[in-house]
Amino acid sequence: MAFLEIDGLKKRFGTVEILKGIDVDLEKGGFLVLVGPSGCGKSTLLNTIAGLETITEGEIRVDGRTINNLHPSKRDIAMVFQSYALYPNMTVAGNIAFGMEMRGVPAAERQKAIDKVAKVLQIGHLLQRKPSQLSGGQRQRVAMGRALVRDPKLFLFDEPLSNLDAKLRVDMRIEIKRLHATTGTTIVYVTHDQIEAMTLATKIAVMRDGEVQQFGTPAEIYNNPTNIFVADFMGSPAMNLVPVTIGGNGSGLSVVLQRDGREPISLPLANPPAGLSAFQGKPVIFGVRPEALTDPEGAERNASNIATADCHIEVIEPAGSDTFAVTNLGGKAVVARLRADAKIQPGTVTPLAFNLTKAVFFDPATENRIL
Amino acid sequence: MSVVTTPVRQDIGGTGAKTLNRIVIYGLLALFALFYLMPLFVMLVTSFKTMDEIQNGNMLALPRAPTLEPWFKAWGETCVGLTCAGIKGYFWNSIKMVVPAVLISTLLGALNGYVLTKWRFRGHTLVFGLMLFACFIPFQSVLLPMATILGSLGRFGVTLQNATGFSFGLGNPTVNLVFVHVVYGLGFTTLFFRNYYEAFPTELIKAAQVDGASFFQIFRRIMLPNSMPIFVVTVIYQFTNIWNDFLFASAYAGTGDSMPMTVALNNVVNTSTGVVEYNVNMAAAMIAALPTLLVYVVAGRYFVRGLMAGAVKG
Repeated sequence: MAFLEIDGLKKRFGTVEILKGIDVDLEKGGFLVLVGPSGCGKSTLLNTIAGLETITEGEIRVDGRTINNLHPSKRDIAMVFQSYALYPNMTVAGNIAFGMEMRGVPAAERQKAIDKVAKVLQIGHLLQRKPSQLSGGQRQRVAMGRALVRDPKLFLFDEPLSNLDAKLRVDMRIEIKRLHATTGTTIVYVTHDQIEAMTLATKIAVMRDGEVQQFGTPAEIYNNPTNIFVADFMGSPAMNLVPVTIGGNGSGLSVVLQRDGREPISLPLANPPAGLSAFQGKPVIFGVRPEALTDPEGAERNASNIATADCHIEVIEPAGSDTFAVTNLGGKAVVARLRADAKIQPGTVTPLAFNLTKAVFFDPATENRIL
Repeated sequence: MSVVTTPVRQDIGGTGAKTLNRIVIYGLLALFALFYLMPLFVMLVTSFKTMDEIQNGNMLALPRAPTLEPWFKAWGETCVGLTCAGIKGYFWNSIKMVVPAVLISTLLGALNGYVLTKWRFRGHTLVFGLMLFACFIPFQSVLLPMATILGSLGRFGVTLQNATGFSFGLGNPTVNLVFVHVVYGLGFTTLFFRNYYEAFPTELIKAAQVDGASFFQIFRRIMLPNSMPIFVVTVIYQFTNIWNDFLFASAYAGTGDSMPMTVALNNVVNTSTGVVEYNVNMAAAMIAALPTLLVYVVAGRYFVRGLMAGAVKG
C-alpha cells in the first residue's frame, strides 16, 4: 500500500470538470511532482490534498487514512505557497510558531522547535525580523521552515520557486532536494517548470486539462513518453516532432523524411516498435530528442541503431556547454545537439547522426505513442 | 498629462512665461486657500474677543485684548435651551455615542469585508450589492421607519426592564443613536473593507487554515493586524460623519439630557435671551469641531495612504 493514494478524484465547479478522475500514488519518502501548463488542474489537485478545496468524487488517503473530509489542520500536512504567504505582522519566529501556537503547544516547546528548524535552514539570525525585511530567498527559507516545524506526514509545495530569480531558483532547488534527502519526508510538489520536475522528482505526473497524461519516474517520462503532449512538454530544448512516412524495403522498416527541393532521407530502423508495421506507407510523427541527433563523432558509441544523413544547417546556437544546430526536416525546424567545439557552419550541408534506438513514434490521429 | 505638456510649453514660452505661469498658479491657489480659511479665521478671532469689541470693531481685526472667557463660558455656563450649564455635558454625550458607534460599525464592516472576500458563499455579490445600497439611501427617507423601529425597541426595553430588572439600554436615546449610526454606517464600512480585503492575499488565509487557525482567529490574528490603513480611513470617515450628524441626532435625541453636541450647539445659537453672544457661540462651535480636527491631525497621513492602498501594490 502506498503512502499517498489518490483514487478517481474528480472536482467540478458547477458543470465544469476541473479534475477528471485522477489516480496517483506515492511511496513513503517519495517526491511526487505535478507538472503541466497553467490551467491543467495541478494546483487544484494540490489544494484538494491540502483540504483547501473540496472534492466532488473519489478518495484521498495518507498512510492508510482517508482524509477527504478532514479540515486542513487535521490532515497532518504542511504547505509552502507560491507567494510564501508569510504573515506580515509577525516576526519570522512568530510565523514559524503560529501553527504550534494554534494547536496550544507550550511556549518553551515552541522555542525549542523554532531553534531546531532555524538551525537546519540557517535562518537563526533572522528570527526577530519581519517578512518585509527579508530577501526573496530568505522568505522562501522561512516558508519552508514553517512547514518543516510541523514535522508532518506530507509536504505540499505550490510552485515555491517561481518568484525567485534564475540563479536563486537553482540554489533553492538543490536545497529542497538536499532537504528531501536528509529528512526523508514525503513531498508533493507543483510546478510548471519541467526542469524542476525532472531534477527533483522520484515520480512525475504530467497533467493536462484535468487529466494525468502520464505518471512515472522521470526517466520513464523522458525516454518513453506516452503521447505527443508529454514528449513535447518534457525536455529542453523540446523533442523534435517531425511528420514522416514509414517506408518498407522487404527486410525492414525505414523512416522517410521529406526535405525541401531534395530527395527524401530514408533512415533504416533496426528494431522498430511492433506496432509500427501497421503504419507502413502511412504518415506518423517521428520524435527524436536533440541529444539523439548529433554530429557523427559525438554520437553515442554503443547505440545499436545509428543512421547518418546529410542535413542543411540553417542556424547555429552556441550555448557554451553545447552547440545547437537547426536544420529543416519534414517541413519543421529540427534541433540537433552537437559538441560545444563541433566545427560547423550555418548554410553548409553536414552529416548528422540519428540515434534511432532513442527515437519514438506517434500516431498522428490519436497522438498516442506507437508501441 | 502634465508630464507631457510641460516641456512643450517651456520650448514655446521660455523662462519669462514660465515665471508668469507660476505666479498665476500660486496666486490663485493662495487666493482660494485664503477664501477657504476665512470663516475659520473669523470664528477663531471672534471667539477670543469681548462682546464690546465685537459690537464696535471690525470682524476681521485681531482681538485687541485676547480673552479665554468666551471659551470657558461656552464650556461651562452658556444656556442650552433652558438649562445653563454649558455644552460640556453634551460634548460627553457625543463622545459616548460616537466612540461605540464608530468602533462597532468599523469592526462589523471589517468582519463583513472578510466574509465577502475570503469566505465567499453563493450569492455573495448580491449581498454586497444590497449592502452597497445602504450608501445611497437618503437620510430623510429612513427617519420615520427608523422612529417606528426605535419605538418598538423602546417598548421591548420596557418589557425587559419589567421582566429582568434591566433594559439592556433599549430605549435609551444614546443607545438608539448608536444603533442608527451603526446600521447606517455598515454600508460604507463594508464597502471600504471589502475593497481592501479584495486585494488581500488569499494564500495567507489558506496558510493560516493549514496552521489550524479558526475563522475568528484568522480574522483577529491575520486580517485585523494587516488592516491598519483601511482601519484608520474607516474610523476617520465614520467619526466625522457621526460626530457631525445633526438630522438623526435632532430626530431621535433632540431634547433632554442626552442630546449630542451638534443639537446642543444649534440650541445654544438659537437661545435668545437678550444679546446674541457671538464670541460664546463661536467658541462653542470651535469646541464642537475640535474632535474631528484632532482625528484628522492625528490620523490624517494614514487617511491619504489608506485611500491609495491597493491602487499600487507596494
